[in-house]
Amino acid sequence: MSWIVRMIVVLPALAALAGLLARRQRSLASVIAVAVSACVAVLGLVQWVAPSRTADITTIGSLPLGDLSVPLHLLSDRLSGLVAFVVALVVLGIQVFTAWYLRDDPRYGQFAATVSLFASGMLLLVQSGDLVLLLIGWEVMGWCSWLLIGHDSERPAARRAAYKAFLVTRVADIAMVVGIVALSVQARSTDLMAVLTASGDDTLLTVGLVGIIIGVAGKSGLVPFHDWLPDAMEGPTPASALIHAATMVAAGTYVIARLFSLYAEHDGARTLLAVLTAVTMVYAAMLALAQTDLKRMLAYSTLSQVAIMLSALAAAPAELGPGAGISQLIGHAFFKALLFLGAGWLSVLAGATALAALRGRLRPTGALRWSMGMGFAALAGVPPLIGFFTKDTVIDAALEGATAGGGLRAWLVVVALFVTVALTAAYCARAWLLLDTAVAASGELPEAAPAVVAEEHVAVVTTADSADDAEVERVHAHGHAAITLSAALVVSVLAALTLVGTLFLTTLRGGLHLGLVSSLLSLLLVAGAAYAVWSVSDRGRLDVADRIPVRVRESAVRGFGVDTAYVGIGRAVTAVARLVVVLDRDVVDAYPRATAVVARAAGRAGERGHRAVPSLSLLSLLAGVVLVAVLGVTAWR
Amino acid sequence: MNGLAIDYATLLPALLPVAGLVLVLAVDLVNPRLRRVPYAIAGLAALGAAAAAVPGLALGGGSTRETFCLTGRDVAAGAAPTIDGVSQVCLWQADALGGTLQLAAAISALVCIALAWPATRRRRPADSTREPVEAVLLLAALAGTVVVAASRDVGTWLIALELATLPVIALVALSGRRSAVAGATQLLVTSLVSFALLVLGVALWFTATGSPFLTPDAALSSGGAFTAAPGGPSTVVFPSTSAGVVGLATVLVIAGVGFKLSLVPFHAWTPTAYAGSSVPIATFLATVSKVAALAALLVVLRAVAALGTPALLSIAVLASLSMTLGNVMALRQDDVVRLLAWSTVAQAGWVVLPLVSISALGVGASATYLLTYVVATLVAFAVVAVTLQDRPGDGRSIAAYEGLWQRHPWRAGALALALTSLAGLPPGVIGLVGKVTALRPVVAEGWVWLAVVAAVNAVIGVAVYLRWLRAVITAPDGESDGEPDIARARSGARSGRRRPAMVAGLVLASAVLVVVSVQPDLLLRLLG
Repeated sequence: MSWIVRMIVVLPALAALAGLLARRQRSLASVIAVAVSACVAVLGLVQWVAPSRTADITTIGSLPLGDLSVPLHLLSDRLSGLVAFVVALVVLGIQVFTAWYLRDDPRYGQFAATVSLFASGMLLLVQSGDLVLLLIGWEVMGWCSWLLIGHDSERPAARRAAYKAFLVTRVADIAMVVGIVALSVQARSTDLMAVLTASGDDTLLTVGLVGIIIGVAGKSGLVPFHDWLPDAMEGPTPASALIHAATMVAAGTYVIARLFSLYAEHDGARTLLAVLTAVTMVYAAMLALAQTDLKRMLAYSTLSQVAIMLSALAAAPAELGPGAGISQLIGHAFFKALLFLGAGWLSVLAGATALAALRGRLRPTGALRWSMGMGFAALAGVPPLIGFFTKDTVIDAALEGATAGGGLRAWLVVVALFVTVALTAAYCARAWLLLDTAVAASGELPEAAPAVVAEEHVAVVTTADSADDAEVERVHAHGHAAITLSAALVVSVLAALTLVGTLFLTTLRGGLHLGLVSSLLSLLLVAGAAYAVWSVSDRGRLDVADRIPVRVRESAVRGFGVDTAYVGIGRAVTAVARLVVVLDRDVVDAYPRATAVVARAAGRAGERGHRAVPSLSLLSLLAGVVLVAVLGVTAWR
Repeated sequence: MNGLAIDYATLLPALLPVAGLVLVLAVDLVNPRLRRVPYAIAGLAALGAAAAAVPGLALGGGSTRETFCLTGRDVAAGAAPTIDGVSQVCLWQADALGGTLQLAAAISALVCIALAWPATRRRRPADSTREPVEAVLLLAALAGTVVVAASRDVGTWLIALELATLPVIALVALSGRRSAVAGATQLLVTSLVSFALLVLGVALWFTATGSPFLTPDAALSSGGAFTAAPGGPSTVVFPSTSAGVVGLATVLVIAGVGFKLSLVPFHAWTPTAYAGSSVPIATFLATVSKVAALAALLVVLRAVAALGTPALLSIAVLASLSMTLGNVMALRQDDVVRLLAWSTVAQAGWVVLPLVSISALGVGASATYLLTYVVATLVAFAVVAVTLQDRPGDGRSIAAYEGLWQRHPWRAGALALALTSLAGLPPGVIGLVGKVTALRPVVAEGWVWLAVVAAVNAVIGVAVYLRWLRAVITAPDGESDGEPDIARARSGARSGRRRPAMVAGLVLASAVLVVVSVQPDLLLRLLG
């Protein structure tokens, strides 16, 4: 069975290569991408149902690195099987959807190939039983995210977003690499099992665990690395769905879950993780409430939801295991993929992603309306959808951790979770009301939509970066294309999965773990928040976010200037570099250059002293004789 | 003259140039209009001298080919105090080192003669007597050089050294231009003063040792062995004073010879004379004259070496001054002959550098370096001469060498090898070997500051030669430059006197350079 595990990693990589070679034949490229994704999904299903429960599946043999053992093994167990299957499933859906969504894009072939490579990286990370393989998968995703976000490379905004994502995650990856090195050194091996069972230097362990948390914070968009994610909406919507739903952003959760037994023993690292996640989930949920663009709102909601996954790992008691975080990962994969693909579909219909332009556009669409509704409900945590179960599993795990001596750390997480539940329900309700409430009186014309917004808010809408301009332009150029059956089917299947996906979690230890009180409390919060939004917005006729003071809202849309801070850091680094260059050129190099100057000056002086006059040469001769004679006699003995 | 045994075979390297000289004069007497025959005779004489010097190379382990030997009785009668009063002293001693220097001088002279090979057509009838005179002077200087390398008594030594010097002054003056006269004047004045110094040094040597011989035995007799010769004139001299006088004699000789080696501060004539004379004469000055000077210096220093003198600070000072000033000045020259003149000054510093350690090691290293310098300089001058033939107008500026690599790859290759040898960079391996050899005695004696000065100068020297080399291997600026280039080449072809002898000289010199570069061991073994 171990060949299945290897194939799951190798097949998408081969598909990427083949797709790249076949990029000019559009249909061939899409057939390769979809067929291989389907194969991988089937293999993933087989592996999940019957995992080989082994952690020493050899790949290319171990690396000869002296006394550091690098076996490069893959592993296969229930956890990896489930996550790999869900990833494969989501990738399959995205490949099918992309074939329709990028129907007019001349670089579809490259995009599909990149998605395949990306999937290969994620699947390698999921199934790696070795820190080196894990890092390779992690890096492959980093590079591919740069390619995917910058897909519309003719647009400066897309290029900038791609570079921003790459640089921010790269900076955090420094810590990731340091952490992995520290863990490997501590265990004298990069094998995951050896690392988990090693007992060694406490300092190295701390460095390793904290380093990995920082690396994860970069890729998962925890504060202060969060700002790249909303900008990443510049990529095509399927890329956003891929990055957000089950792969890159959530990969950090899986990494920490794999190392959970180490984190469970280390309070310091877990406290850091708890603080980061608590801050991120509340902050991102509040920003999501203020967004003017549907995709950016979803991006902030991703930040918040990923922080929830990680908070489960920060607060859960050791005996409960990482199941709560993983189940939130899987639930999030389904409903976030659904929401993004639905948003993509909607943007094609409406020709925009700005909420103001999308007002009421959901109402006349049948299946899409239902799917989006289920997606928002799942995100908000409405039973019996998967979001309710996963979120309350996390809350219950955190509560259990708090009561079982987790202390301040767990309580912080619990409080943040409840606040986030209410905020999530609020922004979901707001989005749903905006999208679904028929625009009053002035009619259905999209041009009329901005007129509804008060004058001062127009500025907000137009100045806010309206994401995915390329798609909008495409719609304007080619008109509305009817969605294909298969793409519509993908959205519907994802919607169905938000309902029945809970069954997946039953196979996961600690995957479903509901407490009565916490469930009731969160239900109340959800209902209350939704009602509050409904009533404040006058049954959906107004935008709740309009109640926020204009200045606060404008800066909230812009992420409170974090981008400026990033730019400032970049400037500072380049300034230091320039200083070093100046020091090198004007101080260090001055000495070598001075020799040249001195030599030239000496030559000039020498030329002045040589004027081909015999008397001068006689003079120097005499001086030389005296010098030589004196030196010769005095120094003779 | 009872005890005087003469071995003519040993004397051949000196006799052949003299015979050639007489023959040239005789031929000129018969037919003064011949232009090429004197040069052919001179070339054959130089070739013969080189061939005659070859048997002396195989000598190893201090054995010598000697002649003009005086028996012990005669020596004693000659009032020379010797240790046991029995030693046989020979006035001509050619060992491996001397033989090698003679060979180098002969080959260099041969190349110079090839470079100076006269044209067929005569420009002015009045010039008709010039070629024989030049040939005679060249042969005379060569004979002086060969003799000085083997001389062991002060008389022969002084006369041979002057024989190697004075014809060169005439040669420079004969080059004809105004600047040549200025150079010759400066050379003459300096050489007169230097000769005075040499005579003074020799006189002091005689005073201190009481011996007319420049041999180790004579030097030792000054140090403390004089008690063995009671009644001699030196009994009243205190040992320390006597030794001091030997020291003074040595440094005066160094100063006198330093003029010929163009060591700073006795160098001032060098650029003027080189730039003023024709290229073959400048080549002669840069090679044969330097061999003569070093051979003369080594004769004295090998005698002094027996005293076990620690080292000579004055040589260290002269070497570092020469290297530094020569390189720094060479860095600013745009005229390649002037550049080579200053490079000679710098290289002279390198040549005497190992002599700070007055020992067999230092002497051997100095001779090795001199040979590498002579070979590389010969090639560089030969290339200059050939190029000047192509472009009579501007062939002496560095700019004229731009794109030489494209136009004449072989010539450019020879020049590149010569310049890298002078700089001490691969592919001029021999230059690198020479520099390492020259530094070894310095380091062995612990002269750290001198080694540092030498290293710094090696770096500046690289800049000096690379400046020229860069012009050789870079293409000229644009296509616009190509047109006059072709025109010039065509005009050169029209004036049409590509002299085969000149090219042969270049080929000979280059062949020697390539051989010693590929197999530096050959050169090291010669002096080993």
